[in-house]
Amino acid sequence: MSDDLLEKYVRPEKNPGTACKGCGLRLAHRRVLEAIDQLGLGQGDVVWGTGIGCSGRQTFVTWKGDTFAGTHGRVYALATGVRLALPPEKRLILTVGDGDAFTIGLHHLLHAARRNVDMTVVVFDNLGYQSTGGQYGVTTPVGSRTDSSPYGAWEPNWTEGGHDVLRLVREAGATFVARHTVLQGEAAVTSLKRAIENRGFSLVQLVYPCVTHFGVQALGTRDLGRIYDWFRDQTAEGVAAGGDKRFATGVVHDGVGKRPEFTEALRGFVARVQNGEVQHG
Amino acid sequence: MKRTFDTGNAAITEGALWAGCRLFAGYPITPATEIAENMSRRLPQEGGFYLQAEDENAALHICNGGSLGGLKAMTATSGPGFILFADPFGWAVSSEIPVVIVNSQRVGPVSGITGAPGQGEFYLSRYLTHGGNYETIVLAPNSVQDAFRLTVRAFYLAERFRTPVIVLADQMVTDGWETLQTPESEAEAREMGLERVERRVNPGPVFYPASSDIDIPPVVLGHNTGAAASDWTPTDRGHDTEDVTWQHKHAWRLIHKILDHRDLIDEAQTWSVDDDPEVILVAYGTPSRVVQSAVEAGRAQGLKVGGIRPVSLWPFQDALFSRKAIYLTVELNWDGQLVREVRRAAAAGSEVHFWGRCGELPSVAELLDTVRQLQAGVALTRDAWRTEKW
Ligand code: SF4
Repeated sequence: MSDDLLEKYVRPEKNPGTACKGCGLRLAHRRVLEAIDQLGLGQGDVVWGTGIGCSGRQTFVTWKGDTFAGTHGRVYALATGVRLALPPEKRLILTVGDGDAFTIGLHHLLHAARRNVDMTVVVFDNLGYQSTGGQYGVTTPVGSRTDSSPYGAWEPNWTEGGHDVLRLVREAGATFVARHTVLQGEAAVTSLKRAIENRGFSLVQLVYPCVTHFGVQALGTRDLGRIYDWFRDQTAEGVAAGGDKRFATGVVHDGVGKRPEFTEALRGFVARVQNGEVQHG
Repeated sequence: MKRTFDTGNAAITEGALWAGCRLFAGYPITPATEIAENMSRRLPQEGGFYLQAEDENAALHICNGGSLGGLKAMTATSGPGFILFADPFGWAVSSEIPVVIVNSQRVGPVSGITGAPGQGEFYLSRYLTHGGNYETIVLAPNSVQDAFRLTVRAFYLAERFRTPVIVLADQMVTDGWETLQTPESEAEAREMGLERVERRVNPGPVFYPASSDIDIPPVVLGHNTGAAASDWTPTDRGHDTEDVTWQHKHAWRLIHKILDHRDLIDEAQTWSVDDDPEVILVAYGTPSRVVQSAVEAGRAQGLKVGGIRPVSLWPFQDALFSRKAIYLTVELNWDGQLVREVRRAAAAGSEVHFWGRCGELPSVAELLDTVRQLQAGVALTRDAWRTEKW
């Protein structure tokens, strides 16, 4: 991302931001800005929300336009209300972490997907609870040593052993779902653009390396080159792939335009009641 | 003026609609379900949105989000749902977002008894979230008409103070049927003393000024003002900060915008308190109806008895208890909650006693017997908030 892009979209006091030196979050954040830029969207076209954890906190109030942050895991419910009040053409983008989306907030996330509420949830997945110092979470690779799994994480997670949380999101009703690593720049930006354009619920999971905790604890290094090598090695192209790879990547589901968007449907329903086209019992 | 015979639930619904509520998100719960049901029928007729949330936590978050986008919003629940508001209530307090919350109190603890009135959330309504450093506005209706009026008032105060306002009702108020008068014109509304303020938009860039002023427009998204609302400690622009100086300014504003404008909030009803009462009965909500009757009956019998009904519960109105007297709080709980606050506030030399029960109201005779005991200096079987042995 050129400095022009930062100047265009990011508040000066949040540039370069508060993430650790070398953190992959910067690259992940950049992917979203690239997608916004390529779609020709300006500061006033997007309302940006965030969750809790490194991914939320470090991206909160970076956007020059209107921004908000929710309590941990609840930003999907908060955003449902925001969506109802906003003009439909405003794009609503949430940047959240894996804990926020897939653990504490999964319940609310699935209900937002069920309703197909127009929002783009970008899960910046740093493979565990990193802002609290590095504990295992539901996307931490099984076997990883973290501060709360000193013998290696053994609990089943949401992404290995035949599970995939993104299939759950798709089944719940999301109309666009994809997973990429931050290193898959072009594919990630393509998915993000599709997600943002979708007038419905989209989720893009972007896996990025935490150098300070995951790198040191699980991979034994904070050397970005070595961490990225591990990421490349663990990435499988194609969502049905996987096998012994940690990250099965690609578009999980593209149902753009196939289901009614919730707030539009609700507005239509209200108009029909007001016109006397539907009566209550 | 439109006159109907209806429930407190309907009164709350109509009050909210008159005040401009256009979003209700809730989760069914006895005895507040009828508010949701009424809203599901009435809101679309007025062009508003009704949503059934996945739980109460989400319900208030959805209301918060709608309000953050510029819609006036309300949710309604009872105790088990009220406790789930801890998270979004704190968010709305800290982000300074107007929203209205109704709690029809039932008998607790926890799920307790669903269809009977209780008063177990007196303190919880004051401290509905963690972390302290804030004040809360809580209004307590005691009739169907009052439920209408105080719901309108809650929206009015929420907008002006940019904060959540709680209507703390009880099952008898919300399920009870009484005459309800609603205005059919703005002139009638004025006659009834009803006021509403329209939502305004804070233009920025200062969203959280170091000021205890009210009538500062709340943060609203979607106008490209650079709005920022969050659960983090905000700078004046709403940026997150770990700086204790900003935190102090934030807490000071949250506390003093309310305490410095109490004249708009404080409200009480009193009976015979200026007529040299020896014993003063104190109650809020439905029990205050019995207290009123007891004072009238007691006075007719020559008893020196008075009554106080705080209508706004929080901030607590200490000044109501500045007279030295024997106070008896009458509550729908066994553990005594209001009594603790009256004990703290009562003038030096006062006595403060407690009469409590769950699920049903005291009778006038029971209260007057207790008044006579207190006047005669007979010790009550119950000492303060300790309940008698079963
Ligand atoms: S702790 Fe890890 S994820 Fe968080 S900012 Fe630092 S490197 Fe990034």
